[in-house]
Amino acid sequence: QSRTVTGKVTDQADGSGIPGVNVVVEGTSNGTVTDYQGNYTLQADDNATLVFSFVGYENQEVNIGAKSVVDVALSSSTVELSEVVVTALGVERETKALGYSTQEVDGKELTEARETNLVSSLSGKVAGVQVVNSGTTIGGSSRVTIRGESSLDINANQPLFIVDGIPISNEVVGASGTGTLEVDYGNAAGEINPDDIASINILKGPAAAALYGSRAANGAIIITTKSGKAKKGLGISVNSNVSFERPLVLPDWQDVYGQGNNGQFEFVDGAGSGIADGVDESWGPRMDGQAIPQFDSPRNIPGFRGGDLNAPAGSTITATPWTKNEDNISDFFETGVTLTNNVAITASNDNGHMRLSWTNLNQDGMLPNTNLDRNTLSLSGGLKLSEKLNVNTSINYINTQSDNRPAISYGTESIMYLWIWYGRQINTGSLRDYWMPGQEGRQQFNYNYNYHDNPYFTMYENTNGQSKDRIFGNVSVTYKFTDELSLMLRTGTDFYNELRDKRRAYSTQRFPLGMYREDDIFFMERNSDFLLSYQKNLSDNFALNVSAGGNQMRQKQEYQQTVAPQLLIPEIYNFSNSAVQLQIDESNQEKRINSLYGYAQIGYKNMLFLDITGRNDWSSTLPEQNNSYFYPSVTLSAVISDMVQLPAPVAFVKLRAAYAEVGNDTDPYQLRNVYVSGTPFGSYQAKGESSVLKNPDLKPETTSSYEFGTDMRFFNGRLGLDFTYYQNRTKDQILPITLDQSTGYTAKIINAGEIKNYGIELMLNARPLQNKNGLNWDINLNWTRNRSEVLELADGIDAYTLTERNGAYVQAIVGEQMGAIYGVGFARVKDKNSPYYGQIIHSEEGTPLRDPDLVYQGNYNPDWMLGVQNMLSYKGLSLSFLFDVREGGIVVSRTKTIGSTSGQLEETLYGRPNGYDLSLAENGIISEGVIENGDGTFRPNDVKISSRNWHNRYYERNNVEAAKYDASYVKLREVKIGYTFPDKFFGNLPFRNVNLSVVGRNLLLWTENPHFDPDVISMSGGTLQPGIENMAYPSARSVGFNLSFNL
Amino acid sequence: CDDDFQEINKNPNSPEDVPPSLLLPTIIKNPVNESAGLAWGYGNVVMQYTGKIQFTNEDRYNWGPQGDPYNTFFTALRDVNNILQITEESGENNYRGVALVMKSWMYHVMTDAYGDVPYSEALQAKDGVSLPAFDPQSDVYTGILADLQKANELLGTSGEALEGDILYEGDVNKWKKFANSLRLRILMRLSDRVDPSSAMQAILNDPATPVFESNEDQASLTYLLDAPNQQPLYTTRSGSFDEYRLSENMEAKLKALNDPRLYVYAQPTTASEAGLVGAPDDYEGVPNGLPDEEALQYSPSGDPEKGGSNFISRVGLMFSCRACDELSSPIAAETVIMSYAELQFILAEARERGFISTGAAEDYYMEGISSTFDYYESRLQAGGFTELAAVVQPEAGYFAQADVAYTGTQEEKLQKIGTQKWIALFFNGMEAWFDWRRTGYPEITPGPGAVINTVPVRFQYPSDAQALNAEAYEAAIKRQGADLITTRVWWDVD
Repeated sequence: QSRTVTGKVTDQADGSGIPGVNVVVEGTSNGTVTDYQGNYTLQADDNATLVFSFVGYENQEVNIGAKSVVDVALSSSTVELSEVVVTALGVERETKALGYSTQEVDGKELTEARETNLVSSLSGKVAGVQVVNSGTTIGGSSRVTIRGESSLDINANQPLFIVDGIPISNEVVGASGTGTLEVDYGNAAGEINPDDIASINILKGPAAAALYGSRAANGAIIITTKSGKAKKGLGISVNSNVSFERPLVLPDWQDVYGQGNNGQFEFVDGAGSGIADGVDESWGPRMDGQAIPQFDSPRNIPGFRGGDLNAPAGSTITATPWTKNEDNISDFFETGVTLTNNVAITASNDNGHMRLSWTNLNQDGMLPNTNLDRNTLSLSGGLKLSEKLNVNTSINYINTQSDNRPAISYGTESIMYLWIWYGRQINTGSLRDYWMPGQEGRQQFNYNYNYHDNPYFTMYENTNGQSKDRIFGNVSVTYKFTDELSLMLRTGTDFYNELRDKRRAYSTQRFPLGMYREDDIFFMERNSDFLLSYQKNLSDNFALNVSAGGNQMRQKQEYQQTVAPQLLIPEIYNFSNSAVQLQIDESNQEKRINSLYGYAQIGYKNMLFLDITGRNDWSSTLPEQNNSYFYPSVTLSAVISDMVQLPAPVAFVKLRAAYAEVGNDTDPYQLRNVYVSGTPFGSYQAKGESSVLKNPDLKPETTSSYEFGTDMRFFNGRLGLDFTYYQNRTKDQILPITLDQSTGYTAKIINAGEIKNYGIELMLNARPLQNKNGLNWDINLNWTRNRSEVLELADGIDAYTLTERNGAYVQAIVGEQMGAIYGVGFARVKDKNSPYYGQIIHSEEGTPLRDPDLVYQGNYNPDWMLGVQNMLSYKGLSLSFLFDVREGGIVVSRTKTIGSTSGQLEETLYGRPNGYDLSLAENGIISEGVIENGDGTFRPNDVKISSRNWHNRYYERNNVEAAKYDASYVKLREVKIGYTFPDKFFGNLPFRNVNLSVVGRNLLLWTENPHFDPDVISMSGGTLQPGIENMAYPSARSVGFNLSFNL
Repeated sequence: CDDDFQEINKNPNSPEDVPPSLLLPTIIKNPVNESAGLAWGYGNVVMQYTGKIQFTNEDRYNWGPQGDPYNTFFTALRDVNNILQITEESGENNYRGVALVMKSWMYHVMTDAYGDVPYSEALQAKDGVSLPAFDPQSDVYTGILADLQKANELLGTSGEALEGDILYEGDVNKWKKFANSLRLRILMRLSDRVDPSSAMQAILNDPATPVFESNEDQASLTYLLDAPNQQPLYTTRSGSFDEYRLSENMEAKLKALNDPRLYVYAQPTTASEAGLVGAPDDYEGVPNGLPDEEALQYSPSGDPEKGGSNFISRVGLMFSCRACDELSSPIAAETVIMSYAELQFILAEARERGFISTGAAEDYYMEGISSTFDYYESRLQAGGFTELAAVVQPEAGYFAQADVAYTGTQEEKLQKIGTQKWIALFFNGMEAWFDWRRTGYPEITPGPGAVINTVPVRFQYPSDAQALNAEAYEAAIKRQGADLITTRVWWDVD
């Protein structure tokens, strides 16, 4: 008979309550943890045995008999943990039985200091995990990799996301298009609601994920949602969070010279009719308050501004002071506000449990008129239909709405592009009223009509909306034939429908007659599986667990894009208002994988564990002759401290080893070429062969990996050390190998290559301070070092371009590390005997020259990464802070090159302290280096050139050498200060476990470059491009409050 | 339960086979538009029709590796190749002929731009050739001339109607004329290496090898009113259009000849406030190859108060973008691949140099000049620019003036042909530049800010060729000379 058991766990030494103690009903996964006072409540049958465990204390087992209150006092002692984690296929295992490395993140870690994108929350918290993002902050995409890049397909290096045993989508559906319309709509896994997450367990290598098959070759992120099981009876919990966001870093602008050329500027029409008024660079007059006609100066006819080009003919502009506006860009950014509210109701009794949760996330972005509104409903529950039959389910509905997400990348639609060309004198407030008078809806008002759009016009008129409905969840039934034999049947799905609408108003630079576009996206994945399990203790010493199962995965994607390229009437955004023929593009795809698998776990005396798995997949994406592939794994865990007597300070030692192979398939339709639709020419329809050459003979790729590790605890568990060495080899990769276009194709899909990934992960947990008064200090440290080495590419090919942007070729080269960036650099003296060896060669005119050869510029991968979290607690008060450190790697920056040529960045003051007259002291630049004499010898450069000329030549667009920065950084990623009120504080009021915290994320950054956050990378066509910065949005520094309580 | 397992992976979106008619629009439009882009970006600038007043890199010969025409043309050649394969079985010789003409034109532009290019091993990734060798230019041209001859033979020998032909609306005979006119252009191009006499005369003698007979026949793509098939500059940003202005060199030549094409190629300066058509003094050009700061504030009069873009003529309204001017037209400008006028100048030169004996050099020459005036008159009318169309025909004395009349020594006559051809080739891809490298007419002087002191004679190969086909690339530059814009191609005899 199951019933509620309550009690208090205290420290035997001083009688104080111990928070966080694990209380588990022995032989089950049913358990809870004690609250701040040491109290716990759980469901247990008569005569059940409760196991109490906590770091630094001896485990204690208590048979509850018929008691309903069980208080225990724990003694500090040598203990070993018996933590339980969720592993592949949703199977819960004791960590000590695992032969591979996993790491858990508690759900609570995700809800206090929040990120709109769940994936971003993992940064710095898990060894081996690297997170970068595209930086639009309102749920923009994040890219997570575990243990480096193992595949040459840069999009295939992310782990698989699993929620309650069922894979869910982490697609980034690209949104590029003609006319620089790229917008980041976020990666699908980023939408998962942190409030519904009980824990995240990260399975790092293929060994851990062998049973999830192909898609987990890069590890798996296993999310377990809250089930309502923990608390007997009715419970209500509330979590409220508000945070305020400001840009963490914006480029350092110069504030001496305004728009123009060679010190001159005068506005007439912003298109070249005035003095340099078509120029969108800041090489103009010093901002000293002198009177200059400007776009926002009044005209002599009331009601018209300088930039109102529809003013009556003959009207003149009255000059106004030319002054600096230091904050003209930072003031355009608003304080972002994110409100998150969650209410969850749980109920639980002997026969079942359920949890219903509603979360609303409402975010106003840092850019005007950008927002995100996300509602998540989650329902989960379990019902015991009989002693033998259990049903469990979890269903999540997510609705995401955005009126506007900012466009990204380098182009007129992107605000960050505008800033890099934005005259330093511009008073941004003058642009707020962004129509010409009488031309509302037809003609924008701006400071420049040659190249740019008014930033307010961009944000308020040219919107990129999103409306998405998503449901994912599963139902499972478990039938226990006997105590030993059980069968589980489960089916789960993830599907979403998303509508993206893009509006472009009349007079937009790229769309003078407006534009309207809708992208309609449908995604569906369904997984159905069964698992037959048999577990038995063969003897006193041997325990056996054998299972066999199967899975069918069906995936379907549909995409339809419709464009009205010009509008008949301004401001009417629908397809019947198209002035010309609509352009329609449609594509659908489908994929299926059938799998059978089995595993056996053999335990010896609860101290030696051997796991063996095997899986066979059949994928629809491979040719019939190659579509079946098998892969095995074997892991071993040995608890040495249970085998031999170790010296007293050593509390626990485990050694582990694992070997695994994983097979992998590919995307649909990679076998045969087809003719895709092109743009019709009037009534003539057009087709053309797809540019990538497909391959009818593909075979599956394989990743084989091994890892060794140890888990050690010392001093009663107050010091823990977990060390892993791993190595993966990925072979026969299916990848589009880039071809020179003279072959007729941009790429061909082949099986090729072998990449070796190896590295070290170190996790250290320490409690330097543990005080009887309740003052505790915990340190968690994660350190990772990964190397990815290219062993082999295809026959005759020793270099492969993973991705390219702005002249930076991210390459895989045989014998080198993955992620090498090649690009053009300066021409330098190559003769080692020359006294000028290594110096930059200049033209006769004194401008630096480029060498057309592509040379190695660096690697984007870090040498190592470190996360350090400190947690201090004293009674109800807690403080924690997380530092995130990345050492090494480069980032190729477009902000640097363009901002230098445009005279915007602070460093462009070099060479013009006294204006532009080269005869004045310090003006002009004699570039450091040499000039070739024509006979192979060199002389020092002695030609003085203007600051603008030097900056334009030195930071030539595709000069990767001039564009790079060291991407190393130290970041104060997270700070939390919390207080849990004693329940008695509220007397008879129903509030319990009231916790109030002040939280901050991305608070401080130390890095070489002053202009942007090196975490923020470029995105192109749905691919996040590591190592490349392309007009990065500022990441958000957020500070907020979190309040949670139970009723 | 999975009977259809293999069927799942059959692409439902697109066919594996198509008729050639569906491939024609793209293999014509994309490379032709690319040619217009190259004319705008490089051809017009290096031949000093236009000069840049901002971002003067092109004008100062600060050229990097050039991705195009290489990438765009090879992409189009993929489907040219598909047509050749489809028609080999189907016997649709008209489509096959068209494919061979487009193929020949593209390779000829590429080899004139870069020199040696992948040819005999190109487009064979399907057969496992991933690293095609670069063929010497002489071999490429041998292949091109053979293909054009073959195209002329094939065209008209099968009954199918040409659909999807956006260049000639299915007129097979015009394709034949294009093929043969192109052969004449190429034979002239190679004339310093290979005596073109017999081949040229044979074309003119044989009625089965017709050539352009009027502006109606010339190879030029006419655009449509609707997006996205408007003339390529129509949708640029106004600033991008306005970076390129009338060059001083062009201005001087047109003014000296009192040539009304000044009103077509340029607009009166804003400062002149002249409206659509001004007096010659209302048109001002910018010198080529100025450093950026100087270009931006250049003053034609020398008065620094009268400097800047306001005092320099924009490129003609007929070519203008929508955002630049409400009067601009999406259809007035065509992209000319090869004009009737050009053929007349080729024949004039061939006759003058004695390569052919048919006709009179002076007649060809005069027809070449007058046909361009007619051509622009018709295009201006198509664009609704009646005020401009009314002034485009020259005054009576134009043809008789000393600098135009077909008089003087042979050298002087060739110079006149060269100069008139240069004026006529405005915006014809990069043909003016290719031809200039052979003739040297007119004189082109690098600007003061130029980074090299000679006019470029070649494009650098794309970075991709270097990154992705390194060995073949190295072999090509070893044979041809360093991958520089100063290295001459094979036919370019010093």
